[in-house]
Amino acid sequence: MKQSMMINGKEHKIDVDGDMPLLWFLRDRLEFTGTKFGCGSGLCGACTVHVNGQAVRSCVTSVSNLVDKEITTIEGLSEHGDHPLQKAWLNNNVPQCGYCQAGQIMNAASLLAVNASPSEDEIDTAMQGNICRCGTYQRIKKAIVEAADTLSKEV
Amino acid sequence: MSISTLSRRNFLKTAGVATGGLVLSVALPGNALAEKGIMKDANTTLNAFIHLDDNGDTTIYCGRCEMGQGISTALPSAVADEMEADWQRVTVKQADGDEKFGPQATGGSASIRVMFQPMREAGATAKAMLIAAAAKVWKTSAENCYAEKHFVFNKINQQKLGYGELASIAANMPIPEKPILKKKKDFNYIGTDLPRHDQGEVVVGKRVYGVDTKVPGLKYAAIIHCPVLGGSLKSVDKADALNMKGVSNVVVIPRFDIPFGSIGGVAVVADNSWTAQQAVKKLKIEWNLGDNASYDTQAYKKQLVANVEKPATLAAERGNIESAFNAAKHKVSATYTGGHLSHAPMEPNASVVWVQKNSCEVWASTQSPADIQKVLGQYLKREPKDIVVHVAMAGGAFGRKFKCDYVHEAAVISQETGAPIQLIWSREEDMRTGYYHSINAQHIEASMDENGKVTGWLHRAAFPSIGTLFNPSLVRSSAQTLGDITNHLFGIENFRAESGDAKAHTRIGWYRAVYAIFYGFAFSTFADELAHKAKKDSLTFVTQLFDNNKNKDQQEQVQRAKKLLATVAKKSAWHQRAKLPKGQGIGLAVHYSFQSFVAMAVHVEVNGDDIKVLHVDCAIDCGQILNTDGATAQMEGAVVMGMSLALSTEITFREGAVVNSNFHNYPVMRISDMPNVRVHITDSDESPTGLGEPGVAPFAPALSNAVFAASGKRYRDLPFKPMAV
Repeated sequence: MKQSMMINGKEHKIDVDGDMPLLWFLRDRLEFTGTKFGCGSGLCGACTVHVNGQAVRSCVTSVSNLVDKEITTIEGLSEHGDHPLQKAWLNNNVPQCGYCQAGQIMNAASLLAVNASPSEDEIDTAMQGNICRCGTYQRIKKAIVEAADTLSKEV
Repeated sequence: MSISTLSRRNFLKTAGVATGGLVLSVALPGNALAEKGIMKDANTTLNAFIHLDDNGDTTIYCGRCEMGQGISTALPSAVADEMEADWQRVTVKQADGDEKFGPQATGGSASIRVMFQPMREAGATAKAMLIAAAAKVWKTSAENCYAEKHFVFNKINQQKLGYGELASIAANMPIPEKPILKKKKDFNYIGTDLPRHDQGEVVVGKRVYGVDTKVPGLKYAAIIHCPVLGGSLKSVDKADALNMKGVSNVVVIPRFDIPFGSIGGVAVVADNSWTAQQAVKKLKIEWNLGDNASYDTQAYKKQLVANVEKPATLAAERGNIESAFNAAKHKVSATYTGGHLSHAPMEPNASVVWVQKNSCEVWASTQSPADIQKVLGQYLKREPKDIVVHVAMAGGAFGRKFKCDYVHEAAVISQETGAPIQLIWSREEDMRTGYYHSINAQHIEASMDENGKVTGWLHRAAFPSIGTLFNPSLVRSSAQTLGDITNHLFGIENFRAESGDAKAHTRIGWYRAVYAIFYGFAFSTFADELAHKAKKDSLTFVTQLFDNNKNKDQQEQVQRAKKLLATVAKKSAWHQRAKLPKGQGIGLAVHYSFQSFVAMAVHVEVNGDDIKVLHVDCAIDCGQILNTDGATAQMEGAVVMGMSLALSTEITFREGAVVNSNFHNYPVMRISDMPNVRVHITDSDESPTGLGEPGVAPFAPALSNAVFAASGKRYRDLPFKPMAV
């Protein structure tokens, strides 16, 4: 019986080398390509996913460390693409090339899960590891504040 | 049979029958493009494709490459506007590489400048044919009909017919010789903030980039290149790599010595990218490093400075600079430098190529499918048209993906292995063996009279030019390359431009804004230095420099530039700068590049060496604006890229090779440094020009001027605060 992990609510057998980073298990083995390769060293945040709800850089996280863990990728963040962050991202026309945005959104979702109304400084600190070369930072900040606002009204 | 051999009428008919709907290939005379100087052959026809299904679904193809600049929304929205199509019924598709879509090489901020008019005409043609179709059905004249939101209406009896119902009839209507374009006041989409067509896919991870391509039987490759340009492989021990589980091949890729060909390397093929990347590290390689093995950017930059601080090769001259200098009341000189830059788009170079006996298919993030066809055609000894190129969404490009060396490499590996190959460069390879923005030095000397009027300007520049890609023996930039110095809008009666020696030791390539980065930096920073010397405020002084321009051909440009500078001064409260807290300052700059005008006012807070950018007011004049939100986004992005290159990013070479390797030692700007950017768009009826690049140039000089205003410290070297690597 092979070991497995849960990805977006479904069980997936770990049928690759245990050293393989989650990023490549997702992209090349399972063909979930929403999670992006940017630097391979945990420096840019493009590959950010959630492991048990927490933001993790999938390019430096081996699958062997994820046995029985719950993984959420951008494809599984919400059922209908309607997470408050996803809505706020659209409302603020955040993406340019969009390549880093899955990582940005996953990182922001992890932030809002522990801090429902982050200050600007707290957003800066939490999002510091996510690079956007197109330069959408101003809109990312605005969208996070807006999503936090939406979430606070839901409660 | 090629499209150009068909009559326009026949082509429509054929295409219409083939698909059951209306495929509108709007053939436009090449003359319109030739006049703009972008196509040499006036006989080449340009085709924009609109596909209208019987159910009204409309597909608009975008021929220009999308890399985040929003062109695949902007241009199709112009088509839809003129067509009176309902944007909700429109699907945008990226066109494959094919000359029938007109020039697809996407660079030089040219897409809107070149394609706005043809795309509008494409939409207007479709609308005229749909109206003609409805008129036929109603047995009335076209004058009695009008189109609105995917319907044609009958003015006489208020009946309406949907575009889908009319599609097949429209396909048989004559193509209007000169379609009538809409008036500005009637635009539905042009000039609005229409959101990007693809952002819904982005936020759920469904937008497919070049790196996401999957085809049956796909094999994955990783590569390591010779670290020094011009070097070659001495030996490779493949054993450890081949012994790894999942590794199938090691392929040596020789240097293909044409522009955009591989510089040479060794690739490993495996059943996933990670294994391939690990295996590359196990290759034991020795390189012959060749002639560039001593390239050292620190020493080279010093040499460039020396080359511009002494007489150099004349590029252009006006008036008599010697007599101006001799009569000077004040003489000022300064030297400015900048380093190599790596584009570092978030998506590293990636493509899938499948070379088979009778076919070659490519899926690539690219800015220039025609160059892929050319390079692969040349390598495989096949006709360029036989190379099928599917243009994928690029995860950023900034000029890097204009060059298709990475696609060529995938083709070599595929040919060798027979498998479809996905080659993804590692970040390290992207940073170390790319094409780089020119390292540069400029020296300016100017004379002023007793009133502070600039009477003479000597401008020397030395940088390895992009021309060296095509002619490596070039020892200095040409007079033409220095044209934007010579034609700068400042009015200088006595002027000389000189080109200093600068041989290339690495591959030089277009980087967002290209030479405007350092030309803009030198001109606007030096003007601020002169203003200080003349004891005048910078706005008055620079305005005067523009007013001194008596060249009739430049009057309109001068006025537009001046107006923007005044706008950002006003918006940034520059006139109240005396009230700013200690340590704060505002700097101004305006630069004209790629036929667009951008001015910036940068407001900083300086504390010792710490520079914090608080606000940026940015004013743009790009003629008729196509998408206000897209334009705003381009300026926000230009500020971020401008700030990275002004403050921190620089590629360093030692012993011929790049020292930087990843984002830890190539510190691009992060979110905490993001200032508040406000963009002010000029409402204009001038013909539209692009915005992908022009925003980058004014940032660094405005920042230098702001820091000087705040602290008295003058930064003349880009980046201001280089990281020791």
